[in-house]
Amino acid sequence: MSDRLLDIRDLSVEFGPVARPLRVVDRVSFSIDAGKTLGIVGESGSGKSMTALSVLRLVPEPPARISGQILFDGRDLLKVPRRNMPAIRGKDIGMIFQEPMASLNPLMSIGDQIAEAIMLHESMSADRRRERVLDLLRLVGLPDPEGRLGAYPDQFSGGMRQRVMAAIAMACNPRLLIADEPTTALDVTIQAQVLEMMLDIRRRFNSAILLITHDLGVVAEVCERVVVMYAGKVVEDADVGSLFANALHPYTQGLLRSVPSLTDTRKRLYQIPGSVPPARTIKAGCPFRPRCPARMDRCAVEMPPLVPYAPGHRAACWAVSKEMAE
Amino acid sequence: MSVLIDVQGLGKTFTDTTMRLGPKRPPVRAVESVSFQIHQGEALAVVGESGCGKSTLGRLLLHLIEASEGRVMFENRDMSAMSRHEIRQLRQRMQMVFQDPFGSLSPRRTVADIIAEPMDSFGLTKSRKDRREKVAELLDLVGLPPSYMDRRPRQFSGGQRQRIGIARAISVDPAFIVADEPVSALDVSIQAQIINLMQDLQEKRGFSFLFIAHDLAVVRHVADRVAVMYLGRIVEMGTKAQIYSSPHHPYTEALMSAAPRPDPAARSNRIILEGDVPSPSNVPSGCPFRTRCPLAAEICSVERPPLIEVEPGHTAACHFATPYPIAQRSPAT
Repeated sequence: MSDRLLDIRDLSVEFGPVARPLRVVDRVSFSIDAGKTLGIVGESGSGKSMTALSVLRLVPEPPARISGQILFDGRDLLKVPRRNMPAIRGKDIGMIFQEPMASLNPLMSIGDQIAEAIMLHESMSADRRRERVLDLLRLVGLPDPEGRLGAYPDQFSGGMRQRVMAAIAMACNPRLLIADEPTTALDVTIQAQVLEMMLDIRRRFNSAILLITHDLGVVAEVCERVVVMYAGKVVEDADVGSLFANALHPYTQGLLRSVPSLTDTRKRLYQIPGSVPPARTIKAGCPFRPRCPARMDRCAVEMPPLVPYAPGHRAACWAVSKEMAE
Repeated sequence: MSVLIDVQGLGKTFTDTTMRLGPKRPPVRAVESVSFQIHQGEALAVVGESGCGKSTLGRLLLHLIEASEGRVMFENRDMSAMSRHEIRQLRQRMQMVFQDPFGSLSPRRTVADIIAEPMDSFGLTKSRKDRREKVAELLDLVGLPPSYMDRRPRQFSGGQRQRIGIARAISVDPAFIVADEPVSALDVSIQAQIINLMQDLQEKRGFSFLFIAHDLAVVRHVADRVAVMYLGRIVEMGTKAQIYSSPHHPYTEALMSAAPRPDPAARSNRIILEGDVPSPSNVPSGCPFRTRCPLAAEICSVERPPLIEVEPGHTAACHFATPYPIAQRSPAT
């Protein structure tokens, strides 16, 4: 398993008093191989973004308490001194966020912003750097790169800004790209362009991608592996084919059935009753229990462990384990 | 079924009216020559990307903004010819549901006050007791416990807030509701709940519905008919079955093809449109879609394709409108 690039083990993120902690990420484990794309799917409050931010060590500690291991290329990022993280962020790990306008500096030309990302990690002559910036803009498919070097973020559309973000993220050929809802704010036709660009980047650089999204369609389109999170916990993980063909967890099944589709002739959409409970109110047992059609007595007492049911396919559900045992 | 709303050649141009120095910004043609009818009890969906004019269209229908050209007839009466008093009376019959349920609910007021406001303003609540009873009934109708009426919006999740917004809209028993992206800000599992709720309510109450969305898949469950807009114009319109099974306009087809499908086996040859939507203040000559159209030919830059009937009840504005997938077509020379 030498090509395992990111290996997260038992990652937990807690806030609040030690005696009564608020656990927003609860013993999450998964790994990504080089050149692969892993998607974390979940609704608001599932802890998916918090998981991604912890990998970058962008969650301020305190107030947060982070435990577990985040092995990047064998090195535990949680043991790296905080002051050394900026050398890793942007170099080995690139990132793209949902709101490009909030992440770009409105007073700096995009050429300078991309050049800055290179300067922070590598020294080279100004001419070579300019060449590199142009290459990056071509890579992300920005039309007329020479002409747009001096342009400012507000002169671009949402899709183009997301391309500029990607150019910054890819400035030092990172081995891992973390993309948190990169297409959520974009129109469908532009979303298709940005997803295509990400796949193209992956093909060329063999980078791994950690994609955070709430959209199962996006996952089906670009990911190889999927982790489904609910209320801070991983409830199911699988290869993309096996997840969509044979979802095990009632939450995943419900999510898949509630997505409206273009070809579907159902009169009504399937609906998961209720909503994600606020983190404070989750007590013992399975957090999905109040909304679950398959709940049993045991679910109120004990959280089901994440166990494999098929090669590479795990789920955390008592109903599934009972069904499999029969 | 009788026609409730008849839109005739409707257009809206926004001009730069600021007092600032320097050159005026060019006028923006947000909506242009739009015509259609909405029958009683019918749900019409308007779909398009940002800047296509779909929200402006919704506001024009409610007469929240003045049309620059054309008119909107509500039950055969021209709204632009009505007095302010008449418009106000009409407001009781038309309501709106917004995208961001929190942004459209006052954080300082209780749920009961929010829901009862339209009834209060039309004098439909007789006593405090009557008001509370009506609010309780409405909460029950949208699937919330009546005991929630004394709480404030911040105590609710996005889906619950949207239910409150819907309860408020149906409180005056309107004949027509405009819903502007009502589920776009919600989580997937909550989206389905709200879509089903709106369908149920429409069946129960029989109001007509203009459902504005950017997602063709969401609309499929709500709409009887679908209109696709691009740069202020309707480029295709038809019944749900017509639009989804045989789209004639390349933009409609591209919109459907671009939507990521929750099926890894269908990971596919999607039609990926190039470039962005042009600015509505600088619309391309001829067909406005030609700059991104895989079928564009010479005629498209010269002549604007009219909206023609391609089959009964189905119109499309494309020089090459045919019911075949783009992949199998070649542009005429």
